[in-house]
Amino acid sequence: MSVTANQRSRKTLACTAEATAYQKAFGAELRRRVVEDREPYAIVQADTPHELFHAMDIPIVTNQWWSAYISAKQLSAEYFDAMTAKGFPENSCKYCSLGLACTLANDPERAPWGGLPQPTVLVARLTCDCIQQVFGLWAEALGSEFFPMEAPAWTDKDPDWFLHARDDWRRVYQPDRIALMVREMHDLIALLENRTGRKFDEAKFHHLMEQINVQEGYIWEAAQAIGNARPCPVSIAEQMPNTMIPQWHRGSDWAVAHAKKFRDQVLEKIAAGEGASTNEKLRLMWIGAGVWHDPGFYQSLEEKLGAVFVWSMYMPFAGPAYIRELQGSPMEALASRVASMNETLHLPPWMSGWMVSEAERCGIDAVVILLPPDNRLSQSGNKLTALALEQAGVPVLMIDADMVDAKIWDHDKMVGMVADFLEQRGLT
Amino acid sequence: MIAIAGPDLPHEVLLAAACHAGPIAFDPERETPQALQWVESKFAPWAFAVVEGWAEHAYDGLEAVLFSRADDTSQRLYYYICELQRRGLLAGPEPLICDIAKIPRASSVDRTADAVRKLAQRLGVGDEALEAAIVATNQRRDSVPALADGKRCLLAGTPPPDDRLHRAIAAQGFVPVGRTLAEDWADLGEPVAEASGDPALAIARGMHARQSGSRSFADPATRLRAAIDACSASAVVLWRIEEEEAQCWHLPAERRALDEAGVPALVLTRRDWLARDGAAAEITAFLSEITP
Repeated sequence: MSVTANQRSRKTLACTAEATAYQKAFGAELRRRVVEDREPYAIVQADTPHELFHAMDIPIVTNQWWSAYISAKQLSAEYFDAMTAKGFPENSCKYCSLGLACTLANDPERAPWGGLPQPTVLVARLTCDCIQQVFGLWAEALGSEFFPMEAPAWTDKDPDWFLHARDDWRRVYQPDRIALMVREMHDLIALLENRTGRKFDEAKFHHLMEQINVQEGYIWEAAQAIGNARPCPVSIAEQMPNTMIPQWHRGSDWAVAHAKKFRDQVLEKIAAGEGASTNEKLRLMWIGAGVWHDPGFYQSLEEKLGAVFVWSMYMPFAGPAYIRELQGSPMEALASRVASMNETLHLPPWMSGWMVSEAERCGIDAVVILLPPDNRLSQSGNKLTALALEQAGVPVLMIDADMVDAKIWDHDKMVGMVADFLEQRGLT
Repeated sequence: MIAIAGPDLPHEVLLAAACHAGPIAFDPERETPQALQWVESKFAPWAFAVVEGWAEHAYDGLEAVLFSRADDTSQRLYYYICELQRRGLLAGPEPLICDIAKIPRASSVDRTADAVRKLAQRLGVGDEALEAAIVATNQRRDSVPALADGKRCLLAGTPPPDDRLHRAIAAQGFVPVGRTLAEDWADLGEPVAEASGDPALAIARGMHARQSGSRSFADPATRLRAAIDACSASAVVLWRIEEEEAQCWHLPAERRALDEAGVPALVLTRRDWLARDGAAAEITAFLSEITP
């Protein structure tokens, strides 16, 4: 296999470098607090209520961020091999388990940060069969405790959920599901207070929730502008960090200010008629997690074919997934955010309804969907979404690859597949 | 009638409503061209057979099919069937889901109890009828026949689609001990508390406490040791399919448990659901070398 992984992506916004620099500094600060100062901290999944930890000033290491960090250091293949050597099947889910693999490899000399120390707690929502096993084993390996959260069934299925999520969230996300999540979050707060001695500050939490609305409002504005602009002013390689890095710090003064700065720079580029590519002929949509080990993939067909990836989920998701009118109930509003973050991205009708709407909004010519072979959750909903997109007149290519496992990623082959698909569908 | 398509479901409610059709019937060998258009590769293989059967109107005689959140494929399939019906691509019975919450916390027990009450209410089953169903079901639990005498071989791991692996074990003179998928779904579990004053909660507690299944929080190595002891197994076949996403994480601990138990064991992982990969022959070879 001729792997040409980790090709660099091209960046054009000043704020992108600022975001990555901030995150690098934050990483160093987080490492100091967690590794050197041995502050109580938590390992959490991306779809858990980070806001509670922020309000209690408890540092968190997000599993997906940690996985991307390990993957970017080209260590994923080595750690997955180590896990296989310990008797785990080779086809086990890769996306959620890289952090566990790093811990099990137990090689402080080579591991980022020398490996994660013992956390106060690990938190995950049970959105698949795999995650409770991974986090249970991880907690055991780290001598810690696993606090699972339910992913309750969602029987009120509104395909247009994204139109109502901001103000009608009690109906959209179901009162009984919200109540369960609130109860679980109170249990989690009690656990954190008992284990860390830190107190949950209601006023700070309320302010944080308001600030998150402001922050995600800027991102939403920028996403709307990008969807309408021709050419696309900002590549997804820049959309991702300018959305995700502030989102890891959501509600902080820096995050709000950065989101505003990003929006302003996007609008400036649009006003100046500048495009992320000078050769935009085809607008592509990427469905799936980012291919962290080869970010240059997304810009690889711009010059030759004028095919520009203008959409990935991270940025446009900010509006419907995060913004909530608090209605005097910030905890319930947070519960509605947490209760369905994964479901709306991986289950019909929510996933397909939103993706078709977004493809129409952004003038998408073709879609590429990532179909990880060993991960039911990440595969889930993709075929029905592809069908819905095709029925809406948007050609779809599904590629078998994994977002963190570089072993089964071949840059040249993947780029060739996309090029062939565009040609076969008469787009080039 | 209502068929079930998943584990840990509240059999008492369906029995009280006199609408229990048992596990949904499917042909594991059937070709599934329609299902392959809609369902991704990592779903448990039974999902493809069920969706294909649904598309071919095999279940049109049912009023509903009850799925379970205690299993990932089952709960996802609920959403898929709902969506395919919404788009007009499928007809047939109404899909229902029982929101079984397995986390060992009071909030999850209460959530499961709410799910039982919701189903009972939908089916017009009151507390009195539910209580009577608990008593009747407990009697059925008590009347389970004892295992046959002889050398026993525990078949653990993924519940197979039928008795094809059981037959391979029996052919070598061993009594196979282990459930097929349909038997697993139909299993009544441990007795439910009678005369508790809240039959829905009593049923929910039983569902919540059940230790089998992909969302169980029970220690898998301890469970395996207990299963070996319970049937006095002379041999163990631990068989898991390629699509398995939960139990596979426990393989190292289970190997240690098997070593500690000192029982001859054959571990087959990432295997074909239909055993077209020679699993039966491997079982035959393994058991033929075990001296009683």
